[in-house]
Amino acid sequence: MLLEARNLTKRFLGLVAVSDVSFSVDAGEIVGVIGPNGSGKTTLLSMMAGMLPPSDGAVVWKGEEIQRLRTDVIAARGLVKTFQNPQVFAELSVVDNVLVASHLAFKHALGTRRALDLVGLEHRADLRLAERVREVLALCNLADATDQLAGNLSYGEEKMLGVAMALMCEPEMLLLDEPASGLGREEIENLTSVLRRVHAAGTTLCLVDHKIGFLRGLAERVIALNYGRKIAEGTPEKVLVDPAVVEAYLGRAHA
Amino acid sequence: MIARAIFWGALALLPLMVKTDFVLTIFIYAFIFGILGVTFDLVFGFTGQLSMFHPAVFGVSAYMTHLLVVNAKLPFWLATLPAAATAVVLSIVVGGICFKFRLKTFYFAVVTLAFSEMARLIVMNWNSVTNGTLGLVVSGKPTIWWPGAGVVAIKGPVAWYYLTLVWLAATVFVCARVLRSWMGRAFGAIRLNEDLARTLGINVFRYKLVSFALGSALASFAGGLYGYYTGYIDPGYLGINQSMEVLAMVLLGGQGTLTGPIVGSLVLTGLPHVIDLRAEARAILYGAILIFTILVMPRGIVGTLRAWRARRAA
Repeated sequence: MLLEARNLTKRFLGLVAVSDVSFSVDAGEIVGVIGPNGSGKTTLLSMMAGMLPPSDGAVVWKGEEIQRLRTDVIAARGLVKTFQNPQVFAELSVVDNVLVASHLAFKHALGTRRALDLVGLEHRADLRLAERVREVLALCNLADATDQLAGNLSYGEEKMLGVAMALMCEPEMLLLDEPASGLGREEIENLTSVLRRVHAAGTTLCLVDHKIGFLRGLAERVIALNYGRKIAEGTPEKVLVDPAVVEAYLGRAHA
Repeated sequence: MIARAIFWGALALLPLMVKTDFVLTIFIYAFIFGILGVTFDLVFGFTGQLSMFHPAVFGVSAYMTHLLVVNAKLPFWLATLPAAATAVVLSIVVGGICFKFRLKTFYFAVVTLAFSEMARLIVMNWNSVTNGTLGLVVSGKPTIWWPGAGVVAIKGPVAWYYLTLVWLAATVFVCARVLRSWMGRAFGAIRLNEDLARTLGINVFRYKLVSFALGSALASFAGGLYGYYTGYIDPGYLGINQSMEVLAMVLLGGQGTLTGPIVGSLVLTGLPHVIDLRAEARAILYGAILIFTILVMPRGIVGTLRAWRARRAA
């Protein structure tokens, strides 16, 4: 078991955004979290990435509780999250964005020998890094946009760049917050194929989305939330016809 | 690259052509303030933290260097090291407090300014050591071993010109190396988007502190040099005016560049002398230039030139 959410709960004053949610993700899986708007998906993901402290419960990563750790420490341990609204360094070019994201890769590759970089003696590391940057950009279908300013990218490309930057951190598991929201059909197909390749390369994925079609094509297992509670879990085929899920999405009459 | 070589080459050759002490003196002041400007820009322009603590570092180091030479009988060069170490400790304390509480922009500026004022008041009132508002007279000069001449005191405008120029160049070199390394990338990430930097595994607190402490350590030498050049130290070194002057230099020259602060320092140090201004008029000039720069060329002289060149190349 790679990641486990144990009775996660988040209360904002009176509002209970996530209530007693437990589930686990094994290495190599693609797990989807679905639910209508406001069902607590993003809150759940933020707690798992250390951006929000849970009110109750625990996040266990490789057998260790991590819910009190800082985001950057969690990222360094291999659990990296992307943002729903793409966050990029708008003033930098695409390739520089990915290069900035190489912080952890650089640290892993060099350790304390990073000091040599200060006196300009680590060219080999620089070269390897440049190669990795090219690979990641190619993997995310951004090879043609490398020199563009990130601020000039389309919304879909910005989201792709977000994925590329997260990948550059060499994550064991990627948490994707609504990667398909706001994307057109072609962009979703592109995203799906990129995520399949990322998964094939050995990264575990946990993605949150309310686009059922997108998740059905990708996830092996789905967890459904409504009003902050887990209402169903299982294969996409099973969960998507679950009466509680149908009701949450479409209302009682359809269930 | 070529522009940079011409810039530094011209500065290196200047004393061969210009013999008047008056002009050289202006350059010496500009170089010392250039060191202050470049190191301030490391924290402000590159890491995005508007620190007002620089004058405290400048002043405290000026006092410390001199007091160590006089009381501990250390040679000037050796005395600059404990001064730099003190600057690092002070910035780790002040920066640690500010960054732990996640103070940003205006709030960070105000709190660091308060710490700076605190340092000034301590210096001003610690009469037994600092001689209060009257200040201290610095009579010695740093010495250097020179081939053929042995150990000589650094005296006269030409010697000081090269001393401060080399020191400025060394400061720029160190900053450039750091900025080209992974640290520079982390600083940039923090400046542009702190939250994103965190998710990419960058320890925002640590790198802010590294930038702040490094900026202070390098700036401390400017303090030591300044006291020894002018031969006089007073609590005014730690004042808010100093903050504003350095800020004006960096904004005018171009924040987020290493050459910009030097250009800004040359212009703002030279201008009042070229058109012979009184102190009050100088304050007005600084204010006017600051307003003009922010309104008309927010990227400063160097930033604007670079943008213009990039446009022409495209």
